[in-house]
Amino acid sequence: MPSSLKHLLFMVVPLVVIFAVLPGVYQNHLLLFNFVIFLILAQGVNIIYGFTGYLPFGYVGFFGAGAYGFAIMVMQYQTPAVLAVIVAGLVGVALGLLLTPLLRLSGAYFAIANLAASLAVLHFVANPALESVTRGPYGVALSGTFDPNMAYAAAVVVMALTLVFVVFLKNSRFGLALQAVREDSVSASMAGVDVVRMRVIAWLASALVAGLAGGVYAWYVSVFYPDNVFSGDFSIFAIVFALFGGVATITGPIIGVIMLYGIYNLIGFTAPQYFQLIYGLLIMGLVLFLPAGLVSLATRRGWHVP
Amino acid sequence: MLKVTGAILAAGLAIATQAMAADAPAEIKVGTLYASSGRYASISMPVYNGLKLWADQKNAEGGVYVKAFDKKIPLKLVSYDDQSNTATAATLYNQLVTQDKVDLLVADSGSVLTAPAVTIARDRKMFLFDQTGTGASFFAKDNPYIALMADPASTVWPKPVADFLIHDGPALGIKKIALLYSTNEFTGTQANAFRQFIKDSGAPIEIVYDQGVPTETTNYTVIINNIANTEPDAVIHFGYAPNDIAFLRNVQDVGTKFNMLFCIYAGLETELLEKNVGAKGLEHVFTYVPPSEAEYPVNFGMNMKEYRAAWNKAYPDGKVEFGFNAVAGYTTGLIVEKTLAVATSLDQLELRRANFSLSGELKTLDGTYALDETGGQIGELTPLGQLELNEHDSDHVKFVSIYPHETATGKPVYPRP
Repeated sequence: MPSSLKHLLFMVVPLVVIFAVLPGVYQNHLLLFNFVIFLILAQGVNIIYGFTGYLPFGYVGFFGAGAYGFAIMVMQYQTPAVLAVIVAGLVGVALGLLLTPLLRLSGAYFAIANLAASLAVLHFVANPALESVTRGPYGVALSGTFDPNMAYAAAVVVMALTLVFVVFLKNSRFGLALQAVREDSVSASMAGVDVVRMRVIAWLASALVAGLAGGVYAWYVSVFYPDNVFSGDFSIFAIVFALFGGVATITGPIIGVIMLYGIYNLIGFTAPQYFQLIYGLLIMGLVLFLPAGLVSLATRRGWHVP
Repeated sequence: MLKVTGAILAAGLAIATQAMAADAPAEIKVGTLYASSGRYASISMPVYNGLKLWADQKNAEGGVYVKAFDKKIPLKLVSYDDQSNTATAATLYNQLVTQDKVDLLVADSGSVLTAPAVTIARDRKMFLFDQTGTGASFFAKDNPYIALMADPASTVWPKPVADFLIHDGPALGIKKIALLYSTNEFTGTQANAFRQFIKDSGAPIEIVYDQGVPTETTNYTVIINNIANTEPDAVIHFGYAPNDIAFLRNVQDVGTKFNMLFCIYAGLETELLEKNVGAKGLEHVFTYVPPSEAEYPVNFGMNMKEYRAAWNKAYPDGKVEFGFNAVAGYTTGLIVEKTLAVATSLDQLELRRANFSLSGELKTLDGTYALDETGGQIGELTPLGQLELNEHDSDHVKFVSIYPHETATGKPVYPRP
């Protein structure tokens, strides 16, 4: 059996089934929804950081742009929610195209420039002069499309598509070429890899994923402000979850989200007074002892981790 | 026959009473969130401490009277820390509703952290006790599951300052106004409402500077110079506490003198601003007069003097400042208490009916509780005042209420010396 099929059957399908079934047995649907959103975003970070080495500190810019893409379609054009989610993804891609020149930078320079770009998008959207289009800083209320069940289903579909794409990256020549670019772009170029094209495709795919996630998030929450959907916490959480599990793998970000976001919520519900202490210690422990993520526990022993 | 009938009635009453007592819960669960860290901690913690003070006080008295069960029932405050994170807040609100199954849902402070609760409350058909989330988008005729407890709607806030400028401004020589605001819902909406009040009035007043700046702005030096170049007679600044601190400090640093300077938080969080700007920097600044200075007559709960004493006793370390938000949390508690005392069941729409029945009747230390048909707060007004140095203690300022004239305690100092 080809490894891509194995990955689909034994990783993607069970995860999708679990999240499709869970709302029937656990009532806090929003918690499940947030898990799905962070699974999408962590895989989006995985696509751009894990496979190309670009650390997107401003990843939330695509997410927020997608949320507002959804909101504008619903408010201004009264489009059906599903179509608005697709447009949200395209808004993410459009923003990604606009920010493509950032790929000339690398390392910390790229991370900082990306963060600045996301703040610029936030202030653009929240500008009172655009009140007639985005509602500026005054927030949007999309009661006409409010349907948490459908929004949750859409989020699971987006998660499935994202995972399929990551499985493709992990098992294809394209993904291998991307990793070659990440390790040594000059050598990869010498070997015939179109470095710029590869990076741009990964960048836009990552933006598409975040845009779609932003769209379904806007659909689910329906009342939000620019500060809600452009909150830097989305970027930080997605990056930390991906790094915690281990990037450039399919399983790493999934493990990271389920463990770390699970612990995050567990502490939040049971011992909020120790929240930051416990969470901070966990992250410090990761950085000090497992910089390549939890999956490195297995890879150090020579085990293959998909 | 009469004896038999009487016995049956007595037995029936006894059984009914027992049944009612048996149905009564051991505690009334009030679910809420607070932000102990992050961007909204400074407004969230005073509100939460105020609510907690109310709950502790009621529990010390054996609970609150719940009409639905005709008895006093202890309160259980189920609260989580959202750390100013809206995604976390959304999850925690849902946790309160679906897992903790709270009887009453109380939002965190401010519009941004209230926004997730509005959606969830509506979805789960829970009546939301919105403490200070003034967002206009929350209140709609087709959403019966919300009411604003302890803050006027954003559009109501600037009416007294606008009315002062419209009615008294021209006589004082105020003809040109500069309007500076932070681009967030709370202050941006106030700026819009203020602008509209001025335009609609037809008064001989011109807005010569009208600029929104990001809420994160911490340096106003260039902006102050730009404002000064328009030579305004009055500068109206709508910003959050950190914006006011930075703005007032920069005004001192630059050395520019504006004849009239208005800031929101000089009045709402005066202790905080005194610490960061200094009493001298607040002298002659116009601001809203908070309920802590207005001494509204009350028909329910503690008055301001009693509440301040209770606050100082409960929180002697002074880590969380007593101010507008501290009053808001306690006010929410009082409204919850009165709602339970009126509602005939804990059904959420009955809670709403009971809550709305208090409109215009309930007078707390925050003023008169009055709602419009969408649940927006229109009773707890924000008079215009001016800060003056306290003659007995020059490290502190005191309030002089300026407008409306009926509640005024002094005349405005204009132009600022």
